Amino acid sequence: MAEPSTAGRSFDAEALPHLDALYRVALRLTGDPARAEDLVQDTMLKAYRSWRQYQPGTNAKGWLLTILRNTFINDYRRRKLEPVATDLEAIEPHAIYRAVEEVDPEGAFFSRIVDEKVLEAVDALPPEFREVVVLSDMEGLRYAEIAEALQVPVGTVKSRLFRARRLLQTALYAYAVETGIIRPREVSHE
Amino acid sequence: MSEHIDCRAAVEILQDYLKRELTPEVEAAVRAHLERCAPCFSYARFEENFLIMLEARAQESNCPGSLRARIVSALRAEMGGG
Repeated sequence: MAEPSTAGRSFDAEALPHLDALYRVALRLTGDPARAEDLVQDTMLKAYRSWRQYQPGTNAKGWLLTILRNTFINDYRRRKLEPVATDLEAIEPHAIYRAVEEVDPEGAFFSRIVDEKVLEAVDALPPEFREVVVLSDMEGLRYAEIAEALQVPVGTVKSRLFRARRLLQTALYAYAVETGIIRPREVSHE
Repeated sequence: MSEHIDCRAAVEILQDYLKRELTPEVEAAVRAHLERCAPCFSYARFEENFLIMLEARAQESNCPGSLRARIVSALRAEMGGG
């Protein structure tokens, strides 16, 4: 096997440490381990081929995730994204908080839901919302990095995140009620 | 004079506050509001716990060793083929 060149060595050092993050995001985007593996491998090869465009010292993780996301859109996504109407006015930020405020104001019930169910709820989000939650809340990218990766304004990232978290909280609350993890607020009768 | 923020404004920018995306001045104003407003403080803690929970779930899956090996070997072939 050939020894890596200088460029190869710098690529190894900068890109390989992010394989775990790339795999996690790929898993959430594709929803399938085999496709996630292919997506990560394609991403790494593409990244290596355009390594000269990477500015050393900038955010390699963000750069790699941008390539991963573009590759996913171009080659992996089965259906075209529909623009999502984000009707922010219609969403009550406190809805779930209000529902649990009396029994569990700190939202401890979230932590009692098994990982698998939380990830299923993430996977069930519309793709536009899923990707912002994964990049922001699960992988810790800044708004500006996500905006760059998605090629949308920062305001759009923020509004999608807001909406995505409401949808997730609603889904997880419904699951917690269904399985008895939390008791729903008593409905008051007239 | 520091900025003054009411409940409505605090809730509106709470997600930016929790993600540390605000300017220091606005961040200080939100913090000051949360310190003196018990309902907002309680709500902020709920949202913060939700985010901590989500972040914790993210770390569950890592790149399988077989995939890592496959990628490194594909990269070596690529690098050699220059």
